[in-house]
Order: sequence, then structure tokens, then C-alpha cells
Amino acid sequence: MSLQPFFLWMQEHAFSAYILNETWFSPIVQVMHLIALAVFAGAILVVDLRLLGVGLTRVPLSKVAEDAMPWMVWGLVALLITGWPSVMSTAMKQYYSPFFWWKMELLVLGLIFAFTVRRRMARMDEATLGPVWPKAAGMFSIAVWTGVAVGARLIGLLS
Amino acid sequence: MRSWFEWVGAMESSVGLRESLNAYPIMLTSHVIGMCMFAGLIMMMDVRLAGLGNRSSAITQVQARLFPWQMVGFAISIVTGLLLLWSDPMRFYSNFYFWLKNLLLVAAGVNMWIFHATTYQTVDQWDNDPSPPFGAKLAGVLSIAFWSAVIVVGRMIAYQDLVPQWWRDLGLRG
Repeated sequence: MSLQPFFLWMQEHAFSAYILNETWFSPIVQVMHLIALAVFAGAILVVDLRLLGVGLTRVPLSKVAEDAMPWMVWGLVALLITGWPSVMSTAMKQYYSPFFWWKMELLVLGLIFAFTVRRRMARMDEATLGPVWPKAAGMFSIAVWTGVAVGARLIGLLS
Repeated sequence: MRSWFEWVGAMESSVGLRESLNAYPIMLTSHVIGMCMFAGLIMMMDVRLAGLGNRSSAITQVQARLFPWQMVGFAISIVTGLLLLWSDPMRFYSNFYFWLKNLLLVAAGVNMWIFHATTYQTVDQWDNDPSPPFGAKLAGVLSIAFWSAVIVVGRMIAYQDLVPQWWRDLGLRG
């Protein structure tokens, strides 16, 4: 099944026309997307660094993860809300951009990992986890989210 | 000032970066990665100062243990930022948001310095308090505000037509 009709529908939607017509709509949404990104990245990184055995090591991993969770979730919600208008108003550009699909695939992978493996790992006893798995998880998480950010930036630059 | 920007722009290294197809995407993407690391971890520290989050950790712990990683992010951002400036100085010379961003960077730095020179001196007394004293909360909130503004204005550099009329009246040409 091709998603092209859906992207075409988004592109031709009245909301897309409204966004493209309002001079300040896109810039405002984009700057809010970046602030949400900083919050989200910080919440992700603070736990990933802890998984790597650096950063906030004086507090149990489960505590660091618990503290970071609301910032991660609300950062993500803000990213989705502010990312949506950009996808709608430039839907056909996104559809034909390899970087958009690169970003979306890594995004799904990153979210699944964050809410399954990483989350469960953060709740486990650090002694039973051993030294290797948390480090592998931290590095994998950083790699995937870096990939999302790189793909995202390249949509605008190289598409 | 203008002649300095023109001088850099005419240099071989500047022309080379400007005319390279790959340099701009690499510099800008790295700038965003550096920003995520720096601003992200700064905000994680700021929410602790403001008493809004990361409250399981002591303030000195958050400050000391995130600092090296904030500096890595800062170094990436500064180096790629200076390279971006180097690659096309005249574009930034005439850009309203570029100058505003520099002003906000100074404001963020002054806020940090004042906090460290005043409220932070007594941190031993409230290091573990989930809700730190007013001075620390103020510094945390101001820091979030200033760094957010730096991000906002940095992104707005791309919208050089959406600037106040008085700036246009200055007639700076890139």
C-alpha cells in the first residue's frame, strides 16, 4: 500500500494552505519544535549517560530514569504537535525525501527501544544487569537519536 | 566592523567552505547535534535549579557531573558555529537575528556568572533541597529563558526577511 494518497491529501488540505499563507506560522512552529527538541534530547541524554556509567552516578539508575521520564514524554508530545504542521504543509516534499523516511524509521525504532528495553532496563537492579548491557543500551540510544536529528536536519537541506 | 567581515569572506578558506556542496549541511547538522547535547543538558540542570525536575539528585552532583558533557556539546556548537560564520560572514553581518543571538548568548553567560558568584556560594546549605532558594530558582528559570531564546533566534537566522522595519532601514547589505 502506498502512502502517497495520504500525503497528497495532507498537502491539499485547507490547513496546509493556511500554514503556507501565514508568514509567521511556520517559523513559530519550527522554533517551538527546536525548544522541544532540546528538552527531549536532554531527558534522553541524562539517562543514556547514566547507562554509560557517567553523569548522575550517585543516584540509582531507576531514580534518574524516573526523574527524566516526564521531560521525555512532554518533550515528545511537544515535538509531535509542532512537527505535524511542518509535515502537512510540505507533505509532498517530505514524501519524496529519503531523509524524511530515514528520520521516521529511526524515530519509531528509538521510541520502541525507549519504552521497552531501555525502560525495563532502567527499572532493573544494576548489579544483575552487569556492566555491559547498560552501556550497549546507552550507546544504541544515543546513536539512534543522533540519526533521527541528522535525518531531520537533512530534510530541509538536501531535499 | 564591516571591513573585518569582508576580509574574512574574501579569504580562500572562507570561499572554499562557501562553495563546497557538503560543508554547509555537515556544519549545520553538527551544530544541531551540539545544540541538543549542550542545551539539553543545560536544561536538565536548570530544571533542577528551578526545583521543577531531577530532584533525586543533589544540585552539586547535577552541576559537576553534567558539566563535562555540557562542555563537549558547547565545544561542538562553538566550533561549528564559528565555521558557519567563517563560511559566509556577509550573510551574518546583515542578519538581524545573528546579532540578537550574540546578545542573548552574552545575557545567558552573565546570568550564569551572577548565579555562581552569589547564590551558588551557599550551595552546601541547600544542595539536597528538592526546592532550592529563590535565587537558584530565578537563575534556573532565567537560564531556561535565555537559552530557549538563543535557540529561537538561532533558527530565525534562516528567516532574514521576517525582521523589524527599523533593521531594514539601517540598510546593511550582505
